[in-house]
Amino acid sequence: MGKIIAIHSYKGGTGKTLLAINLAALYANQGKGVCLLDLDFRAPSLQAVFKVHNAEYWLNDYLNGVCEIKRTLRDFSQTHVKRGKLLVGFANPGTEAIREMTAKDRKWEMKALGRLLSLKTSLLNDMQLDYVIFDTSPGLQYSSINAIVSADVALVVSGMDISDIKGTQRMIDELYDLFEKKTGLIMNKVFAEILQSKTHRADLAKQLMNSYNLPLIEMIPCFCDILKTGGTTIFASENPEHPFIKTLDRVATQIESL
Amino acid sequence: MTLPRRLEQSSASILQKIKESLDRLNEKMEVMIEIQKQGHSTQSQESVPDVLDVMTLLSLPDHLRKTAVTLCKLDQATADEVAEQTKRARAVESGYLNQLVLMGYVKKERRGRKAYFFVDREKEEKEANKAWEKS
Repeated sequence: MGKIIAIHSYKGGTGKTLLAINLAALYANQGKGVCLLDLDFRAPSLQAVFKVHNAEYWLNDYLNGVCEIKRTLRDFSQTHVKRGKLLVGFANPGTEAIREMTAKDRKWEMKALGRLLSLKTSLLNDMQLDYVIFDTSPGLQYSSINAIVSADVALVVSGMDISDIKGTQRMIDELYDLFEKKTGLIMNKVFAEILQSKTHRADLAKQLMNSYNLPLIEMIPCFCDILKTGGTTIFASENPEHPFIKTLDRVATQIESL
Repeated sequence: MTLPRRLEQSSASILQKIKESLDRLNEKMEVMIEIQKQGHSTQSQESVPDVLDVMTLLSLPDHLRKTAVTLCKLDQATADEVAEQTKRARAVESGYLNQLVLMGYVKKERRGRKAYFFVDREKEEKEANKAWEKS
């Protein structure tokens, strides 16, 4: 049986989408069947990276009960990965669609939760995929909590900013602990100087694990060359020897041990 | 078939019926206990349905949240099936599920001898579709 992984954070701009895309491509390049879903309906991003302008069906339609999940997926196995299967589902980036998604009521959110929960059957059982990766919206809102509840594993991404650290701590105490979810922490954009020194690295890891009370999956340094590409490059496919992808390799291994 | 064999089968069938009756009695008693615990005020709210969304799940006490999340994942289930997932006793889960029924978050339907619990998403969907068609 495959796994559903939700990538979440307290604040925006922590690197969730970059991690989600590259983790999906990394798994696919290992020969796995992967489905990447953009569940950030307030600020859809994957369509920009995969250069998708129109779709017959968006993930919004699946959650609205208009179509099956299969109809929302596009296959990028031939163009974006070397092996395996990479399917991607996009959120509608249109302003009207974003407005509509923010105005949903509680009954709709309850049904949306049911539809996300049923992905385990449709994607992992019926389509026999190995991994489904949810790229979620930041913070505590319906779409992200629905995604976390529906996932088998949650990865919380945090930066080193104090407001991010404090907010993430609170979110873990008040959300993740309550749902008893398998959760791991990824610290992203950590100062490279800290990670270069073994002592400093160990001290920081200890400090983070104490304050979050979560397994620390990885501390990823800030890579200027990744920032320079402006999100246009899928490093796991185009530059698999890049240290960022080597770090993600460890993340993929750690996920299995959660 | 020999007489002792027939008697043996008949006794087994009677014992099975007694066990099922006891199970049903047990469930009814659990509901009565819950009603007493909730007090008279809850009885008037019994028919008011509520929405089991994630925010409601967050607001539930820990023991009920575990049951409710498990039921959401299973879609519909007996107390036995929920207990299998939560690793708690069937009687405990039956009590919690009935409490969720009383709170209006979960529906209960008896099919044959088994009681099934479910989050009534279908009904909501049908109602929404009707409203959509009317509009």
